Amino acid sequence: MEIPYVVTPRKDTGLFNAKIAIWLFLASEVMLFGGFFSAYVFLRLGADYPWPERTLPVLPGLINTFVLIGSSVTVVFAWASLKMRQWRKFQIFMGITVFCALIFMVLKGVEYNVKFHHQAVRLKDYTIMEGHLGVEKEGETPVLDHHGKQIEENLIYVETSKLTYNTVRFHKPWVEELLTQAEHEKSKIILAADVTAITKEKEPAEVIAKAGEPLSIELLNKIQKAHLAARAHNGADRTAALEQEWVKAHAAFPDKRDWQIASGVNIDMKALTPKLLDEISTVAFSVEPATRFDFHPRDIKQADGQSRLRDDTVVDGKLLDSPMGFHHIDAIDFQYLVMKAAAKGISPEVAIENSWLIKNSPFAREAWEWHQGEIVKLKADLLKRYGVDKEGNPKRFPTHKELYRIGWKDFAKKAEDGGHAKLSSADSFKEEFLGPNYDARGDETFPEFSIPREQVAFAAKFTPAWNTYYAIYFTITGLHGLHVIGGALVLSYYLFFGRKMYLTNPEWLANRVEIGGLFWHFVDLVWIFVFPILYLM
Amino acid sequence: MSSHATSDTGHDAHHEEHHYNPGFLRKWVFSTDHKMIGLQYGFTAMCFLAFGFYLMMVMRWSIAYPHEPLPGWMNWIFTDGWKARWLQDGKVTGETYNMFGAMHGTIMVFLGIVPLGFGAFGNYVTPLQIGAPDMAFPRLNMASYWVYLVGGLIMVSSFFMESGSAKSGWTNYSPLAGFADGQIVNQWLAGQTQWLLGLVCLITSSLLGSVNFVTTIINLRVRGMTWMRMPFFVWSMLVTGFLLLLAFPPLEAAGIMQLMDRVGHSSFFMPSGLFTKSEGLANLSGGGSPLLFQHLFWFLGHPEVYVLLLPAFACVAEIIPVNTRKPLWGYKSMVYSVLVLGFLSFVVWAHHMYMTGMGAAVSTFFQTTTVLISVPSVVIITAMLISLWGGSIRFTPPMMWACAFIPMFGIGGLTGLPLAFNLADLHLHDTYYVIGHFHYVVAPGILFGFFAGVLHWYPKITGRFMSRTLNHLHFWPSLICMNIIFFPMLVQGMAGFHRRWYNGGDAYLAQAADSVNIFGKTVVQHIDMNIMMSYGAWIMAFFQIFFVINLFTSWKFGRKVTSDNPWDGTTLEWATPTPPGHGNFLKEPVTYRGPYEYSRPDCEADFLPQWAEPKHLDTAEKPVAKH
Amino acid sequence: MADTPEAIKKSIRTYLFVGGILFLGTITTVLVATVPWLDVGAHGFDKWDCVLGLTIATIKAGLVAFVFMHLNHEKKAVYWLFASGLCMVCSLAGLTALALGDPIFDSLFYSGH
Repeated sequence: MEIPYVVTPRKDTGLFNAKIAIWLFLASEVMLFGGFFSAYVFLRLGADYPWPERTLPVLPGLINTFVLIGSSVTVVFAWASLKMRQWRKFQIFMGITVFCALIFMVLKGVEYNVKFHHQAVRLKDYTIMEGHLGVEKEGETPVLDHHGKQIEENLIYVETSKLTYNTVRFHKPWVEELLTQAEHEKSKIILAADVTAITKEKEPAEVIAKAGEPLSIELLNKIQKAHLAARAHNGADRTAALEQEWVKAHAAFPDKRDWQIASGVNIDMKALTPKLLDEISTVAFSVEPATRFDFHPRDIKQADGQSRLRDDTVVDGKLLDSPMGFHHIDAIDFQYLVMKAAAKGISPEVAIENSWLIKNSPFAREAWEWHQGEIVKLKADLLKRYGVDKEGNPKRFPTHKELYRIGWKDFAKKAEDGGHAKLSSADSFKEEFLGPNYDARGDETFPEFSIPREQVAFAAKFTPAWNTYYAIYFTITGLHGLHVIGGALVLSYYLFFGRKMYLTNPEWLANRVEIGGLFWHFVDLVWIFVFPILYLM
Repeated sequence: MSSHATSDTGHDAHHEEHHYNPGFLRKWVFSTDHKMIGLQYGFTAMCFLAFGFYLMMVMRWSIAYPHEPLPGWMNWIFTDGWKARWLQDGKVTGETYNMFGAMHGTIMVFLGIVPLGFGAFGNYVTPLQIGAPDMAFPRLNMASYWVYLVGGLIMVSSFFMESGSAKSGWTNYSPLAGFADGQIVNQWLAGQTQWLLGLVCLITSSLLGSVNFVTTIINLRVRGMTWMRMPFFVWSMLVTGFLLLLAFPPLEAAGIMQLMDRVGHSSFFMPSGLFTKSEGLANLSGGGSPLLFQHLFWFLGHPEVYVLLLPAFACVAEIIPVNTRKPLWGYKSMVYSVLVLGFLSFVVWAHHMYMTGMGAAVSTFFQTTTVLISVPSVVIITAMLISLWGGSIRFTPPMMWACAFIPMFGIGGLTGLPLAFNLADLHLHDTYYVIGHFHYVVAPGILFGFFAGVLHWYPKITGRFMSRTLNHLHFWPSLICMNIIFFPMLVQGMAGFHRRWYNGGDAYLAQAADSVNIFGKTVVQHIDMNIMMSYGAWIMAFFQIFFVINLFTSWKFGRKVTSDNPWDGTTLEWATPTPPGHGNFLKEPVTYRGPYEYSRPDCEADFLPQWAEPKHLDTAEKPVAKH
Repeated sequence: MADTPEAIKKSIRTYLFVGGILFLGTITTVLVATVPWLDVGAHGFDKWDCVLGLTIATIKAGLVAFVFMHLNHEKKAVYWLFASGLCMVCSLAGLTALALGDPIFDSLFYSGH
């Protein structure tokens, strides 16, 4: 028996198999994206920080919407052409569809890329600053890491004199990284003392590695091997010893439960110790001379004297000043600060006046004062346009965001008001996609700024790590992007490899294109909701 | 009378089978035949079940004898290196217990019972019962199995990593799960991340499977197989398919978000200002919600219970009519019940979350729906029970298991009622009472149903019966041990024993003499039950060996069946040759009547198969012309 | 269902028309959200922007589903399949959102504020 209803519909249900399957699949996709949308609603309603409203540039999203709607139309046309047996037209329409998918993904890539290079930082008093990190320089040339990438000025500097590795857990790339840095600084990382251990039962201790041996992965591996062997050996011995103790204990107290006698049942360490091998769980290396090493903030729990890496490596040394250096600051945001102040009953103006930033940065103070002037103008404008209600209050008033956030467009306007040259319309248009153009607008618009490390509460690029809004934005659009890629692959398969099937069984191909098209429409349908929710609300 | 199948379908169409002659790999490994895939699912799932059982035996040692080293008969599996890492002087540590606990739950639910019930029984039996030559998408079916296997192996392989496997409970609640294995720099090689990756694979697999099942059942029913002529088994699979299809994606969403939390350092499930002893103030943005994970998890979690349960219901509902020689009582109400059950199971999830401080109105809503959902379950169980009434019961091996299923599942179901109520749940939440309750449902309930199913369809699969003697040796000890293990849990739970004590309450004995905090005294009274329960578990494990022996030896040495319909059944799987070849049926069968036509007064034989042509009868039955 | 070539030819114009509406709907949503003097409700984003944006999006999604995905002349079975998903999504999103606050008792207890 063959599997029926592959091409022709079954009479009572009126459907061929694949059509049922695709609708079922779409129902489950509805649940998948529904799960994410529910998460969005839940996170937004429950957010304990100012949710970033209308924060993304609209233009790329809008163009992408047009692109997807257009491709939805062409994919229907492609299917219709196939039904009418017009292969050429099918090729054209399907080609446009796939091309649209390409444009969509390119624009998405541009959008993502801008965010991955844009830094945000939250200070201890909840002021938020955004901008572009500077790069570490020696003289005029940027310092490169051993991957050949420029190193950004968001590092923790420790004048390291000693490194103590956990022999089981050390992370190889980090060891290599420190070796590279040491080579660059012309210092040496060498074994601090002889590693001696009993590695065979009842034999004297032997030297596994001599003091002064340079740090290397091989050396660490060798010590690790000795340690693991000793650990396994000791574990077996200790287990056997404890087992014997319990045999004795049960014989001595046959009527007692374990918990009644457990405190008296212990391994006889005196008898056991001679049998045990030495476990080398850590190994120390000294750095000569003490050298400044850089660590990424996420990898290290810094402390003066002794810091600790995430792989349990202990870094001894003085914690140096590790300011976070911005090459350009392009936004100052007091919304979170105001929200926190309001909870304590402090008025926004007082809270902002007392913020670390306003007190320490003349530029920020000047910008804030300019911004307050703009707000007065905005209020007057709203009053003029919409008037007052019965009680004499203005009908419309500025939003929280307008009141307490100075974005890059505000900075640009401020500079232009102050006589700075305007950008050409082409350059302004480009800014809608790529964000502020630092080179053209210059340091007067977006100045340099350095934040002392102790003021930094939390810092991240505009990645999922920055806040839950960006997290859900990247997750939903990323997953949607994967659907676009998947759909485009299927459709281009029909486009490039469908000819043979078209000649033998055109109806089957039409069915398949219909199924692929249904999926494509669904991807469009999801975007129809994603666009307003993430870009416009 | 039992030669209906061969006589009706005849052997003249035998030549069809000869076209299909795949190579070894295509036949045994990368098979697209639903029967082979079903067997692959079954075999893999049983291996995982055995492994999950083993993890539990180690845990039971830790609970009963927290001060003693793990005995040799249990720890020989591990290398010395592994033992030195995870056991302290041979004793099970809290961390190891957590790992085993998390993986026991995960393996049993996602890698054991769902694949066994839905993957194995569903795959093997469903197309046969609706008269289909195969599943609607055979290659998708194969993909679904392989994705499942890969997902399972990813999860289990994490036991051998530096981080160990997942250790935050099978529910994987954040922020606990978010911080676990944080010391591992390459998060892709951390057990907790591997758990998520494995889960995404498993969900993908179930998704492919459920699309395939529902399509098959809707579109591939043979001529005359109208909706109300489908065996209850098929109905159950249809509902199970829908549950998997719609309930799993939100968990996939949650899994992806937790993955983002782990590798992308986002804060979906991490609240603001999170402080841990080891890490200090977390270097995270915060602003997320741990409750969100619980919502998404339990949106799957509750329908999942029915995904586990319905295949067992399905097996038992097939076995009872065959062995009572009596139609299934209330077939239609059972069908409607299972549909209502499926629907309601989507709106009860937050009864797992009464302790989270949801609003009272929402709690009341979920309490009401939870009580409501017991109605259809009780209808189904009652219908099965009444089906026994007045039947001439044949206590065949499968029937023994089916009969044990009903009261055992009954205990499991009824002990769930107090948990449905907000107020009672405050006391019972996270105690051994909960463990006892759902293990009564899953272990003696669902697993008994599956043992019944294996014994029932074994003759169709292999052409031989399984041994009765070995079955007795398997059945009676299992039945007794199950109760020894799980009944004391209910008692302990009401006494306040927490489900996650790795040492069985030992730590509280220090309070026994305390006159203010009297909890220690309660613990002293109940702690010795731990030993009895643990022995119950180990003894039961021993008697499972007889099942394994039975399963494999009967394949070669079992008593041969004398016809294609050895139990004198009425449903279509008995119309196939034994074992069914590629394409299942020699000739396309036609269905003339409902699935459970036993002991009809107008018939000579005590059963009338669905495919028997009505010419033998006075009453004219015609196939419904829907094709 | 529009399966015959003639019927398909006729529906081409419908597809174009619907495509046009989708474009217009998108532009409307964006204008309402970005141009201050087209703003509904209070100045800036508020619930009316949300309602309007989602209504337009729902209409657009409906058009895509009914015309492009041929739900307008699809079999009953498909409605059942798809509706089951939609129904469950509503329960998921609605009930989780409700669980954040208490719609009945909170308003009672906190009415004094």
